[in-house]
Amino acid sequence: MSIKRPRISPIAWGIAPAALLFVLFFILPFGVMALLSVLSGNPVSNPNVTFTWRHYNRLFDSDLYFDALVATMRIGAVTTVISLLIGYPLAHWMARMRSRLGHAALLMAVIAPLLTGIVVRTFAWMTLLSDRGVINTTLQWLGFAPLPLMYNEFGVIVGLVHIYVPFMVLTLVGVIGRIDRTLEEAASGLGAGRFRTFLEVTLPLSLPGILAGSLLVFALAISAYVTPVVLGGNNVLTLPMLIYQQVSASFNLGFAGALGVVLLAVSLALVFAYNAVLGRLTGERQIA
Amino acid sequence: MSKRFGGAHAAYLTLNGAIVAFLLLPIAIVLVFALNPTPYIAFPPVGVTLRWFVKFFSSPEFMNALWLSIYVAVIVVILSTVIGALCALAIARGNLPGFRLLTTVFLSPLMLPAILTGLALFQLFMLAGLGRPVWGLVVGHTLVAVPYVLRTTLAVLQNFDRRVEEAAAMLGASPSRVFFEVTLPLIRPGVIAGGIFAFIVSFDQLPISLFLVVPSGETLPVVLLNYIRFDLDGAIAAASMVSIVLALTAVLLLERIIGLRAYVRL
Repeated sequence: MSIKRPRISPIAWGIAPAALLFVLFFILPFGVMALLSVLSGNPVSNPNVTFTWRHYNRLFDSDLYFDALVATMRIGAVTTVISLLIGYPLAHWMARMRSRLGHAALLMAVIAPLLTGIVVRTFAWMTLLSDRGVINTTLQWLGFAPLPLMYNEFGVIVGLVHIYVPFMVLTLVGVIGRIDRTLEEAASGLGAGRFRTFLEVTLPLSLPGILAGSLLVFALAISAYVTPVVLGGNNVLTLPMLIYQQVSASFNLGFAGALGVVLLAVSLALVFAYNAVLGRLTGERQIA
Repeated sequence: MSKRFGGAHAAYLTLNGAIVAFLLLPIAIVLVFALNPTPYIAFPPVGVTLRWFVKFFSSPEFMNALWLSIYVAVIVVILSTVIGALCALAIARGNLPGFRLLTTVFLSPLMLPAILTGLALFQLFMLAGLGRPVWGLVVGHTLVAVPYVLRTTLAVLQNFDRRVEEAAAMLGASPSRVFFEVTLPLIRPGVIAGGIFAFIVSFDQLPISLFLVVPSGETLPVVLLNYIRFDLDGAIAAASMVSIVLALTAVLLLERIIGLRAYVRL
């Protein structure tokens, strides 16, 4: 491309307020967080602070912290897989829906939970999963023993899946919708059954969407706070819960910072991967 | 075209129906508990009452929190629409180098864990000796609301025909007149939609608020979270209904103004 770049117009100054907001209240705070994670104390009130790795070492000192890290990743992974299994059929249905009204109704059904507060949705699951909740009351009425559905990882995963399925669906819909339908028709024209067409044409072509959606859901699930705290009770400890505990109960800003940096590093890696996958996808679309 | 296997297609529809039910039923069930008169969460419901709504709207604790949430959300809407719309215009029309990277950077608060944004802001305020001022809460919410406005406004800007602006300029309109009489009216739906998202995002914001509220001035989600950890009665269901009605209104408004598709196109 040898087209000369047009001059920067005065409208470009419009970026200044956003840039100021981001530098002062996004980049600077994260810098402070990283700084506190390697200092022995508060550099403002205490002039004798020194550089230290002890906040990071502490992560491996005790099984408690390391287990929390492992539990966070496990919950994130299981949530991602289930969200994909639930989200894919719905996204497929939505992408193939010919009626505009039906499509709009489905879109609303997916976005409405997204816009409902997270505490509200978690409360809704409490009313379903608790010992006296809807499911256990019904089970007992039918003569079965009640099941431990809440205050364990199961309850946390159910709540997280409900919250993050819409993100999976919204990522997949675009990708499935972009698949050239003539390819599917060609496959079935050549004698492949519906299931084989799906397995050998549709599914492989939607892999980038599956990857992007999974990265997004995993990133969101490992940083969830409300759902693990409420539906996990005292039996589940995840990284975000640990971070909040360090601030609210122990007031250990250094250790909280170290935990934050660990979560940030994982999230950043996931975000870059997500952008790379989606970037390649839109690139392909522009070529086509 | 529609040559279908009856059985397989029926299974496909049943599966999808079940998934939609999974998404919506938990929200619907909240209404049952909001109207059920028993003082604890019990199923099946035994009657219909409005006492939980009365309790919610007459409790000073809930009402203070509700007003603080609305107060913060309104300021956040104003700040984020101005900052976000200006930023979108600069990115779409400013011929800035590296505008793609800039977009990614400004959208990043949506992707990074909000709990970390809360923690980082809290640490900054502590270090600077600022404590936890209400404006800090507003700043934290604005940070996560700006990306929504940016996204909806950019979507509108990328869709409309630049020749309209060029035509106006050619016909002798000054750049500022082109901006106020052509560009601004055209991007208005995107900005309004972004503003609605900003309101919802701020009103429901929890992970950032958690670190930045003071004990005497908590937003509604924080009060609700503390409440459900110790009490489970209909008041919380009534509070939830208020929040759900607000969200549904927003969804319908968005669909009318810009169409939900703009939200989907990430």
